[in-house]
Amino acid sequence: MITVKNLRKIYKTPIKTDNTLKDFFDRQYKEHTALHDISFEIEQNELIGFIGPNGAGKTTTMKIMTGILYPTAGEVQVLGYTPFDKKHEFLKQIAFVMGQKNQMLWELPATDTYKLNKEIYEIPDAKYKKTLGELTDLLEVGSFIDRPVKTLSLGQRMRVELIASLIHSPKVLFLDEPTIGLDIFAQTTIINFIKEYQKQYKSTVILTSHYMQDVQRLAKRVILIDHGGIIYDGALKELVEKHSSLKRIQVMLNSEIDVQKLKLPADTQIEYQYPQLRLTVKKDQIEEVIQKTLSHVDYDDITIENETLEEVIKKSFKQE
Amino acid sequence: MIKNLKIFWLFATYSMKTTLQNKVGLVLFTLGKLIRFGTFFFFVFYLLSNTELLAGYTLNQTIVFFLTYNIVDSLAQLLFREVYRFRFLVVSGDLNTVLVKPYHPFMRILVGGIDIMDAFISVIYMILVTYFIFQLPGISWINILMYLLMIVNGLLIAAGFHIAVLALGVLTTEVDHTVMIYRDMTRLATFPVDIYKQPLQFIFTFIIPIGIMMTFPVKSLLNLLSPTIYAICFTLSITAFISSIKLWDYALKRYQSWGG
Repeated sequence: MITVKNLRKIYKTPIKTDNTLKDFFDRQYKEHTALHDISFEIEQNELIGFIGPNGAGKTTTMKIMTGILYPTAGEVQVLGYTPFDKKHEFLKQIAFVMGQKNQMLWELPATDTYKLNKEIYEIPDAKYKKTLGELTDLLEVGSFIDRPVKTLSLGQRMRVELIASLIHSPKVLFLDEPTIGLDIFAQTTIINFIKEYQKQYKSTVILTSHYMQDVQRLAKRVILIDHGGIIYDGALKELVEKHSSLKRIQVMLNSEIDVQKLKLPADTQIEYQYPQLRLTVKKDQIEEVIQKTLSHVDYDDITIENETLEEVIKKSFKQE
Repeated sequence: MIKNLKIFWLFATYSMKTTLQNKVGLVLFTLGKLIRFGTFFFFVFYLLSNTELLAGYTLNQTIVFFLTYNIVDSLAQLLFREVYRFRFLVVSGDLNTVLVKPYHPFMRILVGGIDIMDAFISVIYMILVTYFIFQLPGISWINILMYLLMIVNGLLIAAGFHIAVLALGVLTTEVDHTVMIYRDMTRLATFPVDIYKQPLQFIFTFIIPIGIMMTFPVKSLLNLLSPTIYAICFTLSITAFISSIKLWDYALKRYQSWGG
């Protein structure tokens, strides 16, 4: 479905100096390699998370896969098409949702943009009505779909934007930070929707997000990108198993204790502020630590947590 | 083709809906244009009441030149108004949402913002020019046909120029100044370019082809153009248009997608 081979992208940017005249008459440029010969493949109906820090090359990869940017070198095939050729048959089968980028007609109701997209994507009347109805229900936009887009909140705007991007039922959906700037409720709505949509329409979804919960809830496979190169491509579960070596224990105490008396392993991290005791321990020491702790303390509640995905990802970036 | 017409129509309708929301702006803009037009119209009458001829043209002929300039100018603004808003689209990154749609991006960024106010003003110019053309002696239907063809030819050059502006916008994010240069240059053809001495007349005709765009339609109406000149005009406009498309393709390959 998607094949990327030795993809390279070099941006050329002017070097600004303090000498304005020199900058004007003899402008110098520097080259910045955003992608270093990356390769990967994505199968139909996969939901993949692209993860990496700002400037890692995630969005550049997506922009090349959607035909917005022209690659410096390498080969990209999406649904059997070369994206930059911008063949209408190809563009009709994809959608690119960019958080905080706007395709809606600002002064007019969302329904006007949908009617426009109906003509652009040449969607038959019956299919348009059916899809619009389904998406309106899934995203619960019925109460504000007829209001001018400029009067909507950010979360509402993202929801109507998603409908505009999906009204033609794309086979491949590129989502670049779809939940950026949204509150927790709006984020949950969008993430649940993406999950439901992918299941219902059997689409291939490529997602980037700075919110690791988004990736965790949606993607089984992740591609980690840093400095324009792929440092991991595989199952999220395996990544977590490989890099998550610690567990967190949180105990709510009923009485004060002397932590020295617990005699915990030397490398256990202890944070104690009555009534809360927080311990960070190696996975293989968890049983020993729990046993020693619980036999010495009077407690009200205990929780054991894995490291967050953010922490695992940070570790994997450091190690790779 | 039918798909493009439908999209064009929808964009035009939405543009009109958006414009009509700002009633004060609508009235002031139209009033401003009509006052400017009225002042110039009075100036032409005043000028020719003293001199009788301008570069060899009578009062009525000069008025037709003046009205034709206004028609080409306002039709170009009517059709290509969206170009004036292109910079924001580039720097905000919203251009990306246009480039991933299965239509030619010009449907949105070139002709996607039809200006209803210019449409209204253009109709006034057209009524007036029709009246004054029929005041001219010896005008045949062939002359009128060639006049219309030369106006289309002029609009093709204007389209080429606006596409070049879009391409420069993609390459440099610079749009506003380039458009202003176009506006200033075309104003030099408010009256027939024959009023300029050589080599300015040649420059304003064939190098910066405002003469071909705005003066030559009336010259063709007055039967003052040879077949060779027609051939040069059409070749020049088609070359300008194709070159601008090539420049656009070049710009897209170098597009860096500013604005994230």
